[in-house]
Amino acid sequence: MTARPMPPNRVGWGTWLTFIIAALFIASLIAIEFTPARMLQLPAQLARVLGFFYPADMAYGWNMVLPAIVESIQIAWVGTIVAAILSLPLALLGARNLYPRISRIAHLISATARAFPEILLAIYFVPIVGLGPFAGAMAIGISSIGMLTKLGAEVVESIDLGPVEAVQASGGSRLLALRYAVVPQVLPEIVAHWLFRFELNIRASAVLGVVGAGGVGGVLLNTLRYRHFEKAAAVLLLTILIVLIIDMISGEIRRRIIRS
Amino acid sequence: MAEAAVSVRPEKPPRNWWLWGTALAFLVLMTWWSARGIGFSINELVCNIGGGRRLLQESWPPDFSFLPRLFAPFLETVQIAIIGTVVGAILAIPISVLAARNLTLGMFVWFVDRNFMNILRTLPDLFWAMLFATAVGFGPIAGALALTVFTIAVVSKLYSESLEAIDMGLTEAIRAAGGSWWQMVQYGALPQSLSQYVSYVLYGFELNIRASMILGLVGAGGIGMILETQRSNFEYERVTMIILVVLVAVLVIEQVSAVIRRRLT
Repeated sequence: MTARPMPPNRVGWGTWLTFIIAALFIASLIAIEFTPARMLQLPAQLARVLGFFYPADMAYGWNMVLPAIVESIQIAWVGTIVAAILSLPLALLGARNLYPRISRIAHLISATARAFPEILLAIYFVPIVGLGPFAGAMAIGISSIGMLTKLGAEVVESIDLGPVEAVQASGGSRLLALRYAVVPQVLPEIVAHWLFRFELNIRASAVLGVVGAGGVGGVLLNTLRYRHFEKAAAVLLLTILIVLIIDMISGEIRRRIIRS
Repeated sequence: MAEAAVSVRPEKPPRNWWLWGTALAFLVLMTWWSARGIGFSINELVCNIGGGRRLLQESWPPDFSFLPRLFAPFLETVQIAIIGTVVGAILAIPISVLAARNLTLGMFVWFVDRNFMNILRTLPDLFWAMLFATAVGFGPIAGALALTVFTIAVVSKLYSESLEAIDMGLTEAIRAAGGSWWQMVQYGALPQSLSQYVSYVLYGFELNIRASMILGLVGAGGIGMILETQRSNFEYERVTMIILVVLVAVLVIEQVSAVIRRRLT
């Protein structure tokens, strides 16, 4: 008899799953011709190209890249505002505890909007409103509605229904109950979600330039396409710097909003 | 009695008008400035609705005869996502452990790793794809590398937070019994957060499937490359077909992964 507890039997579904994933992984490597020889070549190749990125052409950065980043921020902001305005009513309607029946429709709208990547929407908006940032803002706005509605509805579902009953018991209409009992409870958290989405949208709008919808993505694509690596380095440096700063500010505001 | 009747009503809490005013002013100004900057106009939108209708007519019905030619690129897309997720998920483990305040090997390592993670997260997936496509050439390998970095960024951020919330009793017990740092992480920290880890990896896989569909726009392999050529040729019926395939794939993966994640927790 040993005092030591027996280890549990480990050959379960976890082991099988690992094998299946490993097999799929290796099959994929073979399919895209990522051979061991290619892998060994890779570090040297990456190091060589990275060498071209130094030094960054900061004159180009301040003159050409900065305006493009500003445009990306503007696209993200307008997109977030559009999505915030459209998603607030949808979030209220999507709450199961307030509107058990209508909420299904709101959930359907939100799921559809979430399924579209921004960039595919931009592909359709570019021919409609023309090349440029406006198309990007519309694409960002429409595709943000999905997530904001979903998160907003979850916030509304978690509220205390006491105030709603209190308003209705003292003769208030449904609309008044929404205004005085629901919105004050949910607004801080919903605003925090808006800010979070704004942070995500900056990254999304940075990419949209690839399909001609304005912003810094198009600049990066062009500099890389024509092999101006020093200019591309300026794009990357400035993007990282500005996104970090905005993330920090927005994260701090979100924390304050949630705490108060 | 008379005094009580005066203020039955509870007093309103005081408002911080200064804060509210500044916030509102900032909101309005920022919106006005941005809307002007990007040339936002409802007018333009309404005027161009006609163009939108023509576009929709051109892109409907989807060109189903194009479907067989999508099979190979679609498969490539899934392969890119699998490779990116597997490699990224493995590399994310050490990065998350070192970025967790309670497990890391010292403040310096923690600081460097945390900032490394933050920088990885600032660049969007397509930027990585563009970079790798220039570095290693157009094709699926660039896409797989881009998604690897993207997966590390997503998973390590979430997982390091779960690691910070683990029960430290177990890890302390291993340390007290003479276990090394390595053994503490291996037997104390990782097993208790395994289910969260798996669910984050699944989430990363979802994002990767979604991203791998569009990586081809910048030449990083997969179904997006066909999308880009058809889009440049204004073959909108085919574009719609491709987008339908993407949407179906994304929805299916999301449902499957949601079911698995619900089982896990």
